[in-house]
Amino acid sequence: MIAPIWLDVLDETARLSAAHGRTDLVESVQQKRTQLLDPRLRVVVVGEPKQGKSQLINGLLNAPACPVGDELTTVLPTIVTHADTPTVTLVHTPPVRNRHGGAIAEADRTALPVDQVAAAVGGKLGGHPGAAHVEIGLPRALLGSGIVLIDTPGLDVLDPAQLDALTAFARADIVLVASDVNSELSPSEISTIGHLAQSHARVVLVLTKIDMSPRWRDVTEQSRRRLAAIGVRPAVIPVSADLRLRAAGSNDSTVNAESGFPTLLARLNTDRAAKTDELARAAVGQLTRTVIEQLAAPLRTEPPEAEPAPAPGPISRLHEAQRTVDELRRCSVRWQHTLNDEMADLLSDLEYDLRDRTRKILRKVDEVFDKADPLSDWHTFAQWLDENLLEADEANHGWMLQRFDVIGRRVAEHFLAYGYPDDTAPRWSPTSRDHLTENVPLMEQPHVERFTYAQKFFTGLRGSYGGILIFGLATSLAGMPLINPVSLGAGALFGGKTVLDESRALLKRRQATVKAASQRHVDDFFLLVSKDCRDMVRQLQRLLRDHYTALTEQLQQQIVESLRRAKLAADADVAERDQQMRQLAVLQEQARRLAATPTGTTAGTRA
Amino acid sequence: MSRSTRTLDDAVRQLMQEAWNLSREDGRAAAQLDHLYGRLQEPVHLAVVGPARSGKSTVVNGLIGDQIAPLPLGDGHDVVTRYADGPQPRVTARTADGAARELATTRSAHGLRMDPRTTRRSAITELRVTWPARSLRHINLVDTPGTDADDGHHAPVEHVTGEADAILYASQEIRTTDLQTLQTAQHGAVATAAPVNTVIVLTHADEIGGGRIDALLTARQLARRHQRDPAIAAMCTGVVAYGGLVALAGRTLSDADFTAVAAIAAAPRETQDACLMSADRFAGDDGPLPVDPDVRRRLLHRLGIHGVRLATTLARTGCATRAELAAELIRRSGLAELREVINGCFVERRTILKARTALAGLERLAGRLPGQDGVHLRARVEQLLATAHDFRELRLLAAMRSGQVAFTGDAGTEAHRLLGGNGTDAAVRLGAEHELSGGELWDLTADALHRWQQHAEDPRLGLHQRRAATAVVRSCEGMLVALGDG
Repeated sequence: MIAPIWLDVLDETARLSAAHGRTDLVESVQQKRTQLLDPRLRVVVVGEPKQGKSQLINGLLNAPACPVGDELTTVLPTIVTHADTPTVTLVHTPPVRNRHGGAIAEADRTALPVDQVAAAVGGKLGGHPGAAHVEIGLPRALLGSGIVLIDTPGLDVLDPAQLDALTAFARADIVLVASDVNSELSPSEISTIGHLAQSHARVVLVLTKIDMSPRWRDVTEQSRRRLAAIGVRPAVIPVSADLRLRAAGSNDSTVNAESGFPTLLARLNTDRAAKTDELARAAVGQLTRTVIEQLAAPLRTEPPEAEPAPAPGPISRLHEAQRTVDELRRCSVRWQHTLNDEMADLLSDLEYDLRDRTRKILRKVDEVFDKADPLSDWHTFAQWLDENLLEADEANHGWMLQRFDVIGRRVAEHFLAYGYPDDTAPRWSPTSRDHLTENVPLMEQPHVERFTYAQKFFTGLRGSYGGILIFGLATSLAGMPLINPVSLGAGALFGGKTVLDESRALLKRRQATVKAASQRHVDDFFLLVSKDCRDMVRQLQRLLRDHYTALTEQLQQQIVESLRRAKLAADADVAERDQQMRQLAVLQEQARRLAATPTGTTAGTRA
Repeated sequence: MSRSTRTLDDAVRQLMQEAWNLSREDGRAAAQLDHLYGRLQEPVHLAVVGPARSGKSTVVNGLIGDQIAPLPLGDGHDVVTRYADGPQPRVTARTADGAARELATTRSAHGLRMDPRTTRRSAITELRVTWPARSLRHINLVDTPGTDADDGHHAPVEHVTGEADAILYASQEIRTTDLQTLQTAQHGAVATAAPVNTVIVLTHADEIGGGRIDALLTARQLARRHQRDPAIAAMCTGVVAYGGLVALAGRTLSDADFTAVAAIAAAPRETQDACLMSADRFAGDDGPLPVDPDVRRRLLHRLGIHGVRLATTLARTGCATRAELAAELIRRSGLAELREVINGCFVERRTILKARTALAGLERLAGRLPGQDGVHLRARVEQLLATAHDFRELRLLAAMRSGQVAFTGDAGTEAHRLLGGNGTDAAVRLGAEHELSGGELWDLTADALHRWQQHAEDPRLGLHQRRAATAVVRSCEGMLVALGDG
């Protein structure tokens, strides 16, 4: 036998679902496949309680298979199948599909005496906790022809999940919704039928108990209209199980016709005969549509711009890379600004610091040489000045190094976000500062006038001359010679005084000279050191700039590379999605054709 | 009226006086109190609630004894309809803003009909029907739209159940959704303290089992079984099976109807069976029955196919006159039982039901009063709820029904009876079968008192049981006092 075309479509659906990684869908498709290949027609009866579901099955079988009664309510689902002799089996756990192997675990089955069926279905059988469903085997022609009837417990509240579980359990080909014709369709029944019609190819509304209602024709029409209003057009078949059973008792074919069951049976038989063809195609068409809907939904909801995808898809990676590049550009501007500003600050601070230190030294020099005589203390002074200047330079230099460290870290902070720790500033070894000490000239002792003894003598003589003359003349008036002891004494006094004065004036001059010389020396020193300092700062700045520029370039290159990769991946992804959509479209077209093709032509196309 | 109920009535009136003093400033509160006070004088308001098409109107019609309900508006909507006793049949429509106008009505075979043009697209929220009927003397009936109507008619129904003194819940069968509806109707301190005022009516009892002749008997057994189910018993004081169409047919059976039924019953058995097999066959134009098709269709409409089957069977097996047939139909329909339950659970307990409604109203009012006044009023309401023995009896009965408190053997039945579970009359409480003199009743009561005093001190019983026994003792004492007064 050539595999029917719907099987190909079904397998294609399964393959696509697997390609999309939807194992749940694959499972349901596989289940459907098994179900459709089974030639038996599974008919499930659902509905609210007390709508005559069990009696409907009895009517179909023309035998009291399912227990009915005022006080009896079906608690366990009941599966009625063909058997040579009547059997009743209580099945404990539902067949559980093994997660990995797909093997079906064997259910626990208990055979029961036939007369216990009512208790079993009513869930009142003691000693069988956890019973899942009841299986009844009956030697009826209808069942023998390959129809399986499934009775279900009445659903108080028809909620979709429960309903789906029920029909999935029953693996229903046809769903019969039983509703008492004596009360119109309730809103929940209407929504139930609408829900079932979405997932099942064949839903039939069976209006029961028409023998009791004088206006069942009106209700039937009204039910059709109300269902059509929500876009569902199931077959509506009014039946009366009472009439059917009564007809069976009296063998009255008119009553049987009135019961409406022949119509229902004819319908079921047609569907059974058509199961592997028409019904299967409808079912596969529906299933494929559902699966395509589910597969296409995530594809459609991923337009490139709209979604800030939580999962890093290629498109979002592309965006991410672009964002990073922009960010890097901003970052590079930022770190350059930081570096320039900091360096300018450093320069001015350093100069001020050096200036401050040298001025302090100069003040000290002034203080010292207000009193001291450069002649006697020169050596000590020169040493002291030299030491102090060097010390100032050292301090200044050390401070610069510290500041430089800080600046390096501050610039490095901009690169923290890129995963570079802030000690990546280039290791930089201070250049030897020997050239500085060499270049600073030792302070030459300035030329100072010494007060030699000969000078002292002449100065003394000059001073004493005046004294002798003045006192000699004065005493000559008193008749004393010009040179007398008094005038000699006065001359000596005057001479001494003049020497002292002269010596003081000379000291002052010497001090002034030394101060000026020191000033000059410190100025020279300052100039030299500050030049050196500036050079060094510039050198460092260049060092940092080069380092971080290189770093930025490297980063940029990385990002551009990842951007390129993301772009490639995104392109591939879009192409793949297009491909998937095309595949789905093809499948959809197949499903549509499948549902639309009339029975005869399939055979032709297959051949 | 026994002494205890009188004191309860007095206490409620006193509490209303207090509330009046508290809320004199507040116009709306005063109007509300006026309304509550008015309600105290009126008969018991019995709301008939249930899902759409569950037979609420049939219950109303059966109780009134006439084909009146339902009264749909011009656009097909049902609204809350109140039925009260009155000298003239009269229908008054009320709109949301409180305006009222009288509506013209006509009678037809299908009941009372209003001119659809006068009611279409109108803001009518409520209809009030006055009807001369003996059964309305002690109860006012409130018919409601279906609780599962999907057009936003829930609010008025909830309002009605909140306001009514008692509820008849009409349903074809008891589903979990029904129990949920009933549970949501019970909220507030008063509803918790005085738990249930609901009776469930299993309508369409005559259709059970495909409308067999013994359907009503089966329905009655079913009702009894439901009543023993703790989940259901916790929600209602009783479950009654009721065949609405049969009951109404019994109450309105005309001579022409009877003649038709008798003619059908006189036809050969095979013809009868063949024709009564389905509604179609019975109403068909060319049936072999010796009755005009129109008459048959009318019969079918009024009785239903099961009703016709029942009536013909009854006519064949002995009901030779219209009155006999009517009586038998009523007897079988469960109407008598329904009335008995309404009488026992609602009319006899009207004082406590009225008090309950008044207290619930006061509780709502307390929520609206500002500051300390509201708190004070609420506290007084709760105090009365906690201390009044009548409420304690109700709570205990509910606890016993739902199985929270149970006595072994006959003690349970006796406690139920003594607490007034079957009726509050002294003789009923004592389970005395025939009229007894005061002295004999006194002796019986004293006996019961003694017995239950022993129960109350029995160390073998649990704490809940001993407390319950104490309550029974208190009931016995109350009866003694009442007998002493009498």
